[in-house]
Amino acid sequence: MASIKFKNVIKSFDDGKVTVIPDLSFEIKDKEFVVLVGPSGCGKSTTLRMIAGLEDVSGGELYIDDKKVNNIAPKDRDIAMVFQSYALYPHMSVYKNMAFALKLRKMPKKEIDEKVRWAASILNIEPYLDRRPGALSGGQRQRVALGRAMVRNPKVFLLDEPLSNLDAKLRTEMRSQITMLHKRLQTTFVYVTHDQTEAMTMADRIAVMDKGVIRQYDTPQKLYSEPADMFVAGFIGSPRMNFIDCTVIRKGKIFYVEFSGEMMRIPSAKAKNLASYENRRVILGIRPEHITEHTGGEIAEENCVITAKAEIAEMTGGEVNVYFDVGSRRCIARIRTDRKIASGETVRLLFDCNTAHFFDKDTSKAIGTV
Amino acid sequence: MHKSLKKYFPVFILPVVAAFAIAFAVPFLVGIYLSFTHFRTVDSSEWVGLANYIRVFTQDETFLNSLWLTVKFTAVSIISVNVIAFSIALLLTKGLKGTDFFRTVFFMPNLIGGIVLGHIWSLIINGILGIFGVDITYNPSYGFWGLVVLMNWQMIGYMMIIYIAGLQNIPAHIHEAAAIDGASSSRELFGITIPMVMPSITICTFLTLTNSFKLFDQNLALNGKSADTSLLALDIYKTFYDHTGLRLAEWHGMGQAKAVIFFLLAAAIAFVQLRVTSRKEIKH
Amino acid sequence: MKSKSRKNNATVYAVLFLLTALFISPVFIVLMNSFKGNFFISDEPFSLPVGEKFAGFDNFIKGFTQSDFLSAFVNSLLITVISVAGIVLLTSMAAWYIVRVGNRFTKLLYYLFTFSMIVPFQMVMYTVTYLAFELNLNSISGIVFIYLGFGSGLSVFMFSGFIKSIPTEIEEAAVIDGCDPIRTFFMIVFPILRPTAITVAILNAMWVWNDYLLPYLVLGSGEKRTLPVAVQMALTGGYGNKDMGALMAMLVLAIVPIIVFYLFCQKYIIKGVVAGAVKG
Repeated sequence: MASIKFKNVIKSFDDGKVTVIPDLSFEIKDKEFVVLVGPSGCGKSTTLRMIAGLEDVSGGELYIDDKKVNNIAPKDRDIAMVFQSYALYPHMSVYKNMAFALKLRKMPKKEIDEKVRWAASILNIEPYLDRRPGALSGGQRQRVALGRAMVRNPKVFLLDEPLSNLDAKLRTEMRSQITMLHKRLQTTFVYVTHDQTEAMTMADRIAVMDKGVIRQYDTPQKLYSEPADMFVAGFIGSPRMNFIDCTVIRKGKIFYVEFSGEMMRIPSAKAKNLASYENRRVILGIRPEHITEHTGGEIAEENCVITAKAEIAEMTGGEVNVYFDVGSRRCIARIRTDRKIASGETVRLLFDCNTAHFFDKDTSKAIGTV
Repeated sequence: MHKSLKKYFPVFILPVVAAFAIAFAVPFLVGIYLSFTHFRTVDSSEWVGLANYIRVFTQDETFLNSLWLTVKFTAVSIISVNVIAFSIALLLTKGLKGTDFFRTVFFMPNLIGGIVLGHIWSLIINGILGIFGVDITYNPSYGFWGLVVLMNWQMIGYMMIIYIAGLQNIPAHIHEAAAIDGASSSRELFGITIPMVMPSITICTFLTLTNSFKLFDQNLALNGKSADTSLLALDIYKTFYDHTGLRLAEWHGMGQAKAVIFFLLAAAIAFVQLRVTSRKEIKH
Repeated sequence: MKSKSRKNNATVYAVLFLLTALFISPVFIVLMNSFKGNFFISDEPFSLPVGEKFAGFDNFIKGFTQSDFLSAFVNSLLITVISVAGIVLLTSMAAWYIVRVGNRFTKLLYYLFTFSMIVPFQMVMYTVTYLAFELNLNSISGIVFIYLGFGSGLSVFMFSGFIKSIPTEIEEAAVIDGCDPIRTFFMIVFPILRPTAITVAILNAMWVWNDYLLPYLVLGSGEKRTLPVAVQMALTGGYGNKDMGALMAMLVLAIVPIIVFYLFCQKYIIKGVVAGAVKG
């Protein structure tokens, strides 16, 4: 049982001169896999390190299991941590690395041995127990680091960008292994990364952070389909969402959105939120994978087709990434097609207003969501 | 963690700081103060302003002689030690068999302490001069060149090791490229090898420079009995300890003033070294 | 082409063996004379110890007993071992504190330590001797304390350089595993520092073992004297009349431990000395 609660937590450095986290409140539930994601310098690692106790909390309260831990030493918080650089002890064998924390806690030798072997067998590192970390590959070291955390049987697992030093193939492999581990260990995982793919594939819930503030804290599905603001919308999804300036127009009872000389009807569900934006400029957001190629046939009222020049066309297997301009905005469409699209070719692209997002131009918040 | 580490000040750093203060910081500061005084011992000092410094340059017979001798000695040592050490390093990087043996032998004298070294050479030099019925005190130039030979014997192996490391760092393909271009061996030496080991040359030059400049033990053991072959460090020592009687306080004051000048010169060398090496680092 | 390079090699070997002879001869001459009778040392220093000149081990027995060589050797050994152990342990702790705390105070300390490296001993020669007597540091344990203070500059400098390259994450992992700062240092940091510790130990051992002036001024030439002081006293006639044979034997006895030590730890010594040169 371990939940984590931030209550108006502040973190500043240099005696309050630099504030990296102005006011943070959120809760991580027991056994949940939460990913903190955001660009570098957003405060995600600092947040994790405060849970670990490696950084002091400058203000507010931090609870683990309803117990205030502001002034509790890392070793008494019952947490384990996996670091980006693995941080294995270079002068100890793999076995000793994993046994170290247990030895410090004066656990009987036999029990230590059982735990180490149990973790090693799950992680497939049994053959390397006598080796030094220097003699292992990156992936093996990563598994040892996980093993060192596992043997502790902690209430909370903290992982700080654990996969960013691995190559792409290993990263995918380890991703599923960590997910498997979470299911198996049934404990709380807090995972920091700057990679939205990792966040989307692994998390129960994701906290998207920017400049020390959580912009949105929700399930991966919700973040994708209902981003709270332009930052989250742009951060989640790859290639990133296109943002296009447009104007809301009313004709009778029906609202339209106009951009680049084209109009499309706003579906009634979205229209009621946009009523107050009549004749104002808003930002239209549309994901590259929601733009399709128009190959003929009737165009529905809620759709529009624009003709654009494919400045660049990148083949990525079954899909083509087409870069084109709307006004002065560079946009991307990700088109499923068997046809080869050449750079410089003119394409007809279909926008569907049902998949579109609208953002306030001043606050960058999504229109309609609270 | 850093916060909790800070509290461990007494465990981690206090012993060293205390020893540093007593063995270095306090004596250093008191030393500067005493150079402006006449003192029999530290607690009986009498302020005289710049008098000691003026006397060092105007009335003292030995200081300027020692300074000049030190400069000469340092210059000769830098050239001879480095030229010979570099040449041996070239021979030992040709991939010949037995290289390790030669390296071991040439480095060995470096470990023998200055006092023992000085007496070994004193025996040899006096043995040779004995054939002509004189000894090392007979002519100051005997003492000077004896010290140069000793310095070479001691330092060559050390510098050789650094040069070998530098030479081995030159990528083989550069030599191959030179061979393909048809460079003569002297062209290769001056056009490629020497420029490539310039960092080692800088290190060795400064090492020889500071070691020669601060030389004391060897000088004491080899030339302790002849007055005119004292380098700066030995001259300072003699100013302090070879005098007794009523004017002792003046000698002490002057010795300390010489020591401060000696320190300033050493600091100047270190400063130049820092400038030269940091400029090199930027280039890389 | 091949025969030419073979001829070249022969010349190189000739030069190298000539140099070897030159490098070894001083030690060899002393060794040779240590087996000769008194009279023949000053009169025929370059002749071999054969026939009537051969004195067996007489000189060594005299050298050992007359100058009480053994007590000087033991003093030197004690001072060197304790000083080096103290310097390695305490300066590595200090360097870790300085680097990891990293506030204005520790930065100032770091600059002071670095600064002390360039100051020649003569600058503090008189004052440190005075202070040593005032504070009753004119003993074996006292001089160890002075060596700690004097050796701290280079040692802190070298340890700091290495510690800066150790990722802090390793130490944070130790904290999470349950180490306090003292355990973190001794169980994690110090073992990682091993290569630098060996270098620092060798550099300081060579310095302390061979140092003459400080022990001469602080411990004097009496019963607390070290080996270099005993050698200097003996060879400049500090103990009355000069027995050349005994003196030669003393020189040999002073050199032998160093050469034995060198042959056993050659790899570490050369590496350490070069590392010290490049950094300092």
